[in-house]
Amino acid sequence: MNLLRQVWLIARLQLGRVFFSRRSFWIYLLALFPTVIFLVHGIDTKLRRQRWSSRMTSPAALESIREGDTDEEVLNRAGRPINDETYDREWRRGAKKRGRPIMYRYMMYFDGSRRWDLNFEAGLLQNKRSLALVNFEEERQVFAAIFQYFYLRLAIFFGCLGIFMNLFRGEMLDKTLHFWFLVPARREVLLAGKYLAGLIAAVLIFALGASLCFGVILWLQDPVPREAFWRDQGASHLFWYAASAALGCIGYGSVFLAAGLLLRNPIIPAIVILLWESINGLLPAMLQKLSILYYVQSLCPVPAPTPSDAPLLVRLLMAPAEPPSATLAVLGLLGVTALVLWAASRAVRRLEINYGTD
Amino acid sequence: MTPPEIVFHEVSKFYGEVLGVNGVSFRIPPGITSLVGPNGSGKTTLMNLMAGLIHPDRGDITVRGLSPRDPEHLMRITGYATQYDSAPRGTTGYDFVSTGLLLAGYSTTETAERAWKALERLSMTEAAHRKVAAYSKGMRQRVRLAQAIARDPEVLVLDEPLNGLDPLVRAETIAMFREFASQGRHVVLSSHVLQEVDVISDQVILIANGAIIAEGEIRGVRDEIREHPSQFVIRCRDASRIASLLFEQDHITQIKIHEDRLGLLVMTRNRREFSRALTRISLAGQTIESVVAADENVDALYEYLIGGGR
Repeated sequence: MNLLRQVWLIARLQLGRVFFSRRSFWIYLLALFPTVIFLVHGIDTKLRRQRWSSRMTSPAALESIREGDTDEEVLNRAGRPINDETYDREWRRGAKKRGRPIMYRYMMYFDGSRRWDLNFEAGLLQNKRSLALVNFEEERQVFAAIFQYFYLRLAIFFGCLGIFMNLFRGEMLDKTLHFWFLVPARREVLLAGKYLAGLIAAVLIFALGASLCFGVILWLQDPVPREAFWRDQGASHLFWYAASAALGCIGYGSVFLAAGLLLRNPIIPAIVILLWESINGLLPAMLQKLSILYYVQSLCPVPAPTPSDAPLLVRLLMAPAEPPSATLAVLGLLGVTALVLWAASRAVRRLEINYGTD
Repeated sequence: MTPPEIVFHEVSKFYGEVLGVNGVSFRIPPGITSLVGPNGSGKTTLMNLMAGLIHPDRGDITVRGLSPRDPEHLMRITGYATQYDSAPRGTTGYDFVSTGLLLAGYSTTETAERAWKALERLSMTEAAHRKVAAYSKGMRQRVRLAQAIARDPEVLVLDEPLNGLDPLVRAETIAMFREFASQGRHVVLSSHVLQEVDVISDQVILIANGAIIAEGEIRGVRDEIREHPSQFVIRCRDASRIASLLFEQDHITQIKIHEDRLGLLVMTRNRREFSRALTRISLAGQTIESVVAADENVDALYEYLIGGGR
């Protein structure tokens, strides 16, 4: 029988189990978590825009307001604000003695795309600050950070752990693995079929999850910048995010498939590999190449920002390794995967069914 | 041409420091062969070695000329019904039976035909589309057997195959084993139901502590056990008289007279001499109604060979 047909048949039989197993429910949560966060943020933003649009102020009127203007002048020029709060404070900031209570006032306006925060002290405007309701650049940065620090390092990592470790280890625990060992197929074919099933599930779940989240961010934006971005680099960004997620699944999938064959307890390999991946940026160049993250991270279209106020250790762990070129990254990752799968195929040939010793 | 055999040559298997089987050598010709031994003796280990689920630490195994390390070819001629529920979660009885057929390369139509035929043979057609997890113990046993026979294998390996079956299905299943064996195939089974093994098997392999104690036809195995006297039950008119005549023979070790004084249990170390002695007694005018061997069954062999290990 054609080997590829056997591989596909095994994969097809495994797919239902991978997609609908109770054990994989949390994987969907991990994959959809960023989408849910951005969706909630998006709905909130849309609702606020809708609510504030009825009391919009012209941008020109708000631009004309200067520090030192009185609150009455501002009200005359910009009209009634969306939010207006007044409060007294006895202590002036920085003062050593308790003095006469000072009247503070906060007003908020909306000009259709930006919100304006005006802070008054004793009736005079002290500072004025405008903030775009939707900041595309900022949101792309946030997505880049979430994708690299959460999605690649945690969601895909643990998702693949859950999917691929179970392909063999889960069946050993259920005492059903011998069902597969007693079919007329080579063990390597069984391994390939199971890997393919896990891969289809993981790629669909995580590449779709990343694409969905990216789509939600685009949906949030105003039509004009959104279309301009899409024409310019949006499609390419979407492709590379989805490709990075898929390649992450290919790499981590092979690693956890092999770990499931070689080790009984998934916690130990999870900790070791997570640690190895985390310190990747600190390793010598040669060792960096033995990491999935090294290849996948370099394919991301937007570099993830590293917070400057984060502790040194965190900054070190977040620091990406020296990125290879896209071609090298893809080839390197596929090379590492092939190597790991070859080791897994050796292990599966030697694997024994040992749940009974009568 | 010699018939294809299952051959174990100096096979040892250890689970860490725990002994599975040790230096086992035997040949199984076609027919029904029962592996008999107490729990933990190594029966399932031998079956798993045959099917390639485990590999020997030492020695060689061939199943009709094929190596168990080559599942692609071995499983085309072998059906194995394990004692564990091997159906993956969510699998229906039909899927369980048909998967191996599809992987063996049968077309969808042929797979369906063979799967339904196997399920029908085990009276499982009505439950075929229900999940295996929802089956009763007996139904699980039947679907495992259906899966094992679906590819019409030359070698059937069956771990405790009659467990959980009702008497009618049990009889039908035994008939099926006989049919397989009569076609020159191998049926290798393990069982704790010794009377059934006795009735079904063409030969037995007695195992204890990972070693083969005896193998061959049950009567032949019995003959090999010299240290245990053979037992015969004699029904006659005058048990006391026959007992006194038999006691004159050197090979008689013990005689027990029945309470009704019409029968006796005789233990002898020489079956041939015992037979001659009985002929002489009969010719001398004593009425002997029947002579039955009391220990030519696996129960007795078990008792002798394994000595309370059951």
